[in-house]
Amino acid sequence: MPGKLCVSITHAKNDPDKATVGFVVANASVASAQETLVFLSTEAVRIAVKGYAEEIHEEGFAPLKELVSNFVTAGGRIYVCSPCIKKRGLGDEPLIEGATIVGGAKLVEFLAAGAACISY
Amino acid sequence: MNEPLPVDDAWDAGSMGCGELVFRLAMRLRAMRPRSVLKLTASDLGAPHDIPAWCRMTGHSLLRAEHPHYYIERKDT
Repeated sequence: MPGKLCVSITHAKNDPDKATVGFVVANASVASAQETLVFLSTEAVRIAVKGYAEEIHEEGFAPLKELVSNFVTAGGRIYVCSPCIKKRGLGDEPLIEGATIVGGAKLVEFLAAGAACISY
Repeated sequence: MNEPLPVDDAWDAGSMGCGELVFRLAMRLRAMRPRSVLKLTASDLGAPHDIPAWCRMTGHSLLRAEHPHYYIERKDT
């Protein structure tokens, strides 16, 4: 029976190592038949903006754009913190496929259903 | 265009979102009679996903959602 895992990411270009490893773990989870959600908040909301991830390629890992694309193609979901993206003036920017802007209630619903969570 | 629903109260939350929106929404509904209907107006980008999720978790009924308008019937208890 599949479990539920939330990978919370709070970094983007300010810490590409953490942003990248978060998606590496998310891909491991979705590839292990787990219902997997990536929650992007604070600086990480920038990753949801189309084109942004193309500039992140941490040494020793696949490019972030590829990791994100693989995650979504495999059925992973991406929630983007609504007040975080609004605060950065990015609310009207086109988002990557699979990304959905949500507030706290949508995240809480996923976690309250028994999801484990790991943070980067 | 759907027919307007009869409502008992209305609240324009403006651009309020996330935790503050659902917290204040909970307080509003708590003060209303069971089965009464609140028309919420919330323009936050997360509201189309948040309001249905919040209603599912709390047991209030989302009668209609036409962003930015949401018609919520207060639960019995």
